[in-house]
Amino acid sequence: MLRPLAKLNLKNKFFTYILAVILIISCVIALLARWILVSGLTQELELRGTAVAQSVAARGASFILEENIPELLGLIFDEKQLRERKLLVDYIYVENVDGLVLCHTFTRPFPPQLQGANPLGETAQKSVRLVRVGQQEAYDIAVPAREGLYRIGTVHVGLSKEHIDSLVGKLRVMFLGFISAIIIITFYVSHRLANYISLPVVRLTKISDDLSRGNFDSAGILDLPDDEWKMSDCPAFSDSDMPCWHFDDQMRSGRLQQEGASQRRCRTCVFYRKREGGDEVAQLTDSFRNMVWSIRLYRRRLSESENTYRSLFNSGPDPIFVVDCNTQRVLDANPRAEEVYGFSRAELVGMEFARLGPVHARECFRQFADGDVADCVRTPRVIHHRKSGVPMFVNVNACPISYRGRPAIIVAATDVTEMVEKDAQLIQASKMKSLGEMSAGVAHELNQPLNAIRMGSDFLAMTLEGGQSIPPGQFHQVVTEISAQVDRASGIINTLRSFGRKADLFDEDVNLNDTVQSVTSLIHRQFLLHQVDIKLELTDPLPMVTAQDNRLQQVLFNLVTNARDAITECRQGQEHPPRGRIVVRTFVERDKVCLSVTDNGTGIPKDVMDKVFEPFFTTKVTGEGMGLGLAISYGIVRDYNGDIGIRSKEGEGTTFTLRFPRTPGATGEAQGGKV
Amino acid sequence: MRILVIDDELPTLKMFVLILNAMGHEVLTAESGEQGLEVMRAEKPPLVLTDIKMPGMDGIEVLRKIKEENQATEVIVITGHGDMDLAIKALNLDATDFINKPVRREALQGALSRAEERMQLKHDKAVALNIFLREDAAVIAVRGSLSTASESALKDAFRHASRSRVNIILDFAENTSINGAAIAVLADCIRSARADGCRIAMAGLSDNFRQVLDVMGISRQVTAFRRLEDVVFP
Repeated sequence: MLRPLAKLNLKNKFFTYILAVILIISCVIALLARWILVSGLTQELELRGTAVAQSVAARGASFILEENIPELLGLIFDEKQLRERKLLVDYIYVENVDGLVLCHTFTRPFPPQLQGANPLGETAQKSVRLVRVGQQEAYDIAVPAREGLYRIGTVHVGLSKEHIDSLVGKLRVMFLGFISAIIIITFYVSHRLANYISLPVVRLTKISDDLSRGNFDSAGILDLPDDEWKMSDCPAFSDSDMPCWHFDDQMRSGRLQQEGASQRRCRTCVFYRKREGGDEVAQLTDSFRNMVWSIRLYRRRLSESENTYRSLFNSGPDPIFVVDCNTQRVLDANPRAEEVYGFSRAELVGMEFARLGPVHARECFRQFADGDVADCVRTPRVIHHRKSGVPMFVNVNACPISYRGRPAIIVAATDVTEMVEKDAQLIQASKMKSLGEMSAGVAHELNQPLNAIRMGSDFLAMTLEGGQSIPPGQFHQVVTEISAQVDRASGIINTLRSFGRKADLFDEDVNLNDTVQSVTSLIHRQFLLHQVDIKLELTDPLPMVTAQDNRLQQVLFNLVTNARDAITECRQGQEHPPRGRIVVRTFVERDKVCLSVTDNGTGIPKDVMDKVFEPFFTTKVTGEGMGLGLAISYGIVRDYNGDIGIRSKEGEGTTFTLRFPRTPGATGEAQGGKV
Repeated sequence: MRILVIDDELPTLKMFVLILNAMGHEVLTAESGEQGLEVMRAEKPPLVLTDIKMPGMDGIEVLRKIKEENQATEVIVITGHGDMDLAIKALNLDATDFINKPVRREALQGALSRAEERMQLKHDKAVALNIFLREDAAVIAVRGSLSTASESALKDAFRHASRSRVNIILDFAENTSINGAAIAVLADCIRSARADGCRIAMAGLSDNFRQVLDVMGISRQVTAFRRLEDVVFP
């Protein structure tokens, strides 16, 4: 029933409600009053009519008995014409016991329809009945006229209905006027009242509208006329470094402990307050004011922080991209990104991120698509392309964020091409050093086939010069041996060349068995001469790892030569040293492809165990080792997401274990026989 | 002649057998130092060719053992090309000669013939040093092997030579071998002679030993000629 009212504003609601209630009450009062008054009036007039009739009956009883008609007539005329009564009393007539009209006050012949229209019962004291007299209606009141106990006649008094109705009509007009006046007054009063009540709410509404439009400073709530408070009194307003902890209960519990509680909060807040008195609207206003202030403070802080981060974004030394997770397109990029990648900002925005680094982008999106990765993902040495198509190496840091309501990734890419190249140079230098160390051994190694070839050809030449014929068996033996030895020599040279080759910057699928074979073929004889056996325990087939064979060879070479040195060191001062033994193993362990090098050398003392990967750390005599080998090895292994573990016992030997993640998708069925 | 060849390289061993057979020698082979010593004890060959770099017992060790057991056995060591340190080390241990790997036929033949001659000399007990005078110089003729034993003779020869002439010629026979100690004495003599104002030349030394003298720094003190007739002093 009240639903149509819901659309009204508060003022009109108040107005309507007050009005409605008062109207209903006045109507009810009016109806009640009217009913009481009208019925009372009618009764009163009836009583008066009855009194007239009884007076006639009392005074005219003797005349009726005597049938003194003239006296009786005079009496009823007197009664009827008495002052204002004549308006009310329409007629009077008297009947005898037999119902015969003795006299009447009609100035015309007695209307026949009155005869017997209102008969009075034998014992009844009074009878009232509405009767028609000519054109008009009248209330006929009949009372008995008695002489002693005997009834001698009946007196009829006709009260004019017209007169009564006009009296009631007057009364009705009066009430109507009264109610109208009440309505008008109520209307005015309720209007004023509604206005008064709803005014603060209207004002709050207006201010809220202002706030939601972002118009914080023009919002008048803080500058209410009754306010003695000034914005500059609040220290948090001018110093956004000091946020208003008063409002910030969440932060207070967490960070305040760390930063020292007292200095971050005003002793008494100059702003925040709640008045004791006042109605709900006043309370609301106070709360509202506090809220607005707190929003203002946070807006200031927010805009400052926004500016800070925007300037960080714009002036950052590294390219930063914002990439949409769903469309995989770049949403924003900073000026440094334009500089480094060579694209203009207009080109970058909307570009598919995969165009910059296809492989990495795919991995990156997959990572963020799989479940919710809340943390940042760091990927080192990713290849990205500039506009010109020139590849470069970047370290990428990707963090999930929400950007303008969409899930996105912030991608920061640090150009490390130069570093990677330097790294490669360093590795190359160390490799060259290793080659130098190997050269004596390799020379010896190469001398063996050359020797056999030389002797074979000399034998042929000698027998030829001597004019002797060579037995076919011997001839065949020599020739076969010569070609076998040439193959052997070229094998050595190939291995050497692949080891010495400058590693290119791209990774490939590598079978660790191949790496082991290459390195050991170069050095195993040389190690034998040092009384060191190299034993291989290769698992075949072995899953592939993503790396560079060339650099892994370097790592393995470092490990193996270290092992040899440890064995040699162990031998010093021993009368009958045991044979040196290096075991190189490849195996798969919990989804990792592993390569271990075990020696029976000196072992690593506990106190230097965690130092061995530090650059320039060496236990060797000055001039014998730079201490770069393990550091470089460690760097290389980490580059391929691997790790190096050491297990060592002093005096018994050391095991270095390299673990690499297996290349996803690669079958790894390649045979490890290629040297 | 019966020759024992010790080398861990099977192909090399095979070639040695072929080529030495073709040269008319009887060949015994061993693939390691230990095996070589066993064969040596059993067969007692007069000449042993041994590789120096071998796993297990190396050539130096084999040389030392052989010399301990039988001083008279001639041992020729096979060294890696240009590895003079090892060659000198072997000479100091009384190796009679060395051959560079890859082994050339000529070098092998030379070494073998020198060894044979030396054995002959030893057998004949010939005098190692002789002095005679040429017009412009005193000639010291060296035959056979110079060893620690010839130290005083060498010093005497130099003393005589420097007294008679300003120029001294060292004339080595093709088969001459010099062991480590003798080289040191020779270097000493040459240094003191030069200090006395002598000029020294030498002739006829095999390439092998000339290399050794090069390494020892002696060649810089003397002028080398191929034959005695070629020697001319400025």
